[in-house]
Amino acid sequence: MKKFIKTMLLLAIAAIPLGCANKGEEGMKKKEIAISAAASLTDALTELKNVYEDEHDDVFITLNFGSSRKLATQIEQGATADIFLSASLDDMERLKEQGLINESTIVDFTENSLVLITNNVVQIPVSSYEQLGSAKSDHISMGEPDTVPSGRYAKEVLEHLQLWTPLQDKLVMGSDVRQVLTHVEMGNADYGIVYASDAWSSDKVTVVAVADSSWHSNIIYPGAVVSDSNYPAEAQDFLDLLSGKKGSAVLQKYGFK
Amino acid sequence: MDYSPLMLSLKVAAISTTVVFISGVFFARAFARKQFFGKSVIEAIFILPLVLPPTVVGFALLLLFGKHGWIGKWLLEWFDVQIVFTWLGAVIASIVVSFPLMYQSAAAAFNSMDDRIENAARTLGASEWRVFRTISFPLAWPGLLAGLVLSFARGLGEFGATLMIAGYIPGKTDTIPMSIYFAVESGQMEKAVFWVVIIVALGFSTILWLNWWSRRNMLRYANENRSR
Amino acid sequence: MLEVDIKKRLSHYNLEVDFSMGDEILVLFGPSGSGKTTILHTIVGLTKPDEGTIKLGDKAFYSGKKDSMSVQARNVGMLFQDYALFPHMTVEQNIQYGMKRKDEHRSFVIGQLLQVLGIHQLLVKYPHQISGGEKQRVALARALASEPSILLLDEPLSALDKQTRIDCQNELIRLHEMWKIPFIIVTHDREEAEKLGDRILFLDHGKIIDERKSPYTDSPHSTYSY
Repeated sequence: MKKFIKTMLLLAIAAIPLGCANKGEEGMKKKEIAISAAASLTDALTELKNVYEDEHDDVFITLNFGSSRKLATQIEQGATADIFLSASLDDMERLKEQGLINESTIVDFTENSLVLITNNVVQIPVSSYEQLGSAKSDHISMGEPDTVPSGRYAKEVLEHLQLWTPLQDKLVMGSDVRQVLTHVEMGNADYGIVYASDAWSSDKVTVVAVADSSWHSNIIYPGAVVSDSNYPAEAQDFLDLLSGKKGSAVLQKYGFK
Repeated sequence: MDYSPLMLSLKVAAISTTVVFISGVFFARAFARKQFFGKSVIEAIFILPLVLPPTVVGFALLLLFGKHGWIGKWLLEWFDVQIVFTWLGAVIASIVVSFPLMYQSAAAAFNSMDDRIENAARTLGASEWRVFRTISFPLAWPGLLAGLVLSFARGLGEFGATLMIAGYIPGKTDTIPMSIYFAVESGQMEKAVFWVVIIVALGFSTILWLNWWSRRNMLRYANENRSR
Repeated sequence: MLEVDIKKRLSHYNLEVDFSMGDEILVLFGPSGSGKTTILHTIVGLTKPDEGTIKLGDKAFYSGKKDSMSVQARNVGMLFQDYALFPHMTVEQNIQYGMKRKDEHRSFVIGQLLQVLGIHQLLVKYPHQISGGEKQRVALARALASEPSILLLDEPLSALDKQTRIDCQNELIRLHEMWKIPFIIVTHDREEAEKLGDRILFLDHGKIIDERKSPYTDSPHSTYSY
């Protein structure tokens, strides 16, 4: 719910500059940078947007969040964007092959990790992924592996630990991360597997274990400037901020590596 | 190909339709042609799931039937029955979203009936139950059947609320609409098309059958009205 | 002996009537909206008066809001304005619907009734397959087959053409002679009122404004003034 309200606020905030852009023609004309970013980056980017705008009076940033795949498709279809921040290498690769992004600007700006979460109602929670096999639990929630990125990595982890088949009947697949969190928050699922950054966004769940990064392929977030960008210099500037010290400090605050 | 989604969908739709039919007919009959305090509020609650987004309905169901929900907790403690993440959850979701359709159809059917016919049966000494069984029910049947078929079709196609409360556990709670959704989202077009064809065939044949049936059976009532 | 003494508030006036009757044909005559049908409905039990009493012999149908006998228990036969036949049942099923017992004597009486009404050949038909006059007779047979202790008829002949009407009037009088129970007939047709009624109550705005013995009845109190 908290996230929902935040998203709505963001939408409202994003709408205001659009309204002002027309009026602004008489006065000082601000440069607009549109960022298409993976939904998991919502909180971190909202903070960084303010940091950047404070430093650059002549620029304002609009944020467009969604699943990486959908955002990539939007860009393919000509949607306006200056920066693409993806949660998966595949989608970045796809745009790169079509020449839709400036290849030289691609930067892996952060990484996510996979955590095991639980609700406070579980009396004595497990303290590691390995214990899931023997733990007394009814249901474990995760993203659907074929459609939700975190679900794909969760499946890799469970397969690595040889728990995928034995747990089969207990695995409740969510159609997005929010659903997985809801199931754990309400205590309907005893455990859930989500990104560390997702776990951070909910104050009703606790992280009991972090998956070893060798159990799954790297969860890398690549970013790049879009070829059609009107303000490539400013876009590059923001990307530098994101991948630099300030950026990683903010990202870490929100659960990223 | 795994056919379990077909069997599960049919089972869920059949059970929810039965529940919805009995309760829908009961409430519609009890409320028909009556005015009492709070009737419009109760009717609004009945119809609500029709206008709410499925995910909102699903969330409300989680609040009620979740392991720690108001009803779910009680069911678990006293009967050891779990609703959430089981096929029963799919049944509950189907019931909630298809009940408005059944209630609306049944209420329209009972309200449009000439109450003199029921009164005539009463003056002939028929008990209320006999009036219902032999007069009200058969005369309202065309409308009730329409509601029944709509509810079945709606139950069969229910997705949003079902995903929330029944979860998606392949082989356990994957109804046809869920299989379609995840197949489409993951680009397994062949699988998606297969299930789409099946669900379209099911829906199409029920509606076709309803049209055929009503044209054949409504004739009698149509004639009756014309000769008045 | 039926005794009716009731008051009921209606939207445009107050219904306030007091009358009693024996095994005769009583006609309630008056313009539409004068409360005739409401009186029938209070006797049969479909509406409750606000206060008063309704008694048939020693059976109290109504003696106050909280003391009202159910429609089913009153055993009052009623012929509705457009007959209210059950459209999904055959004529035979319609007639048998209210029959309380099906012994030989009863079958004989019903057989005779069908004969008198001339509807015995209609038994397998559905209501929509028969004429208005036939419907009227079927409805009459259905009401009588339930052995009512009183029969109420709400504009029983208004939907029929002139000739059928006259035939049916004669049948009603004949049936009344056979059955020997009180008949109350509501009509707004003066000629019909005079032909059928042993006694006529004139109603207007919920009040009995006049009461006459029928001119055709040989009674010392008969008045021939109209």
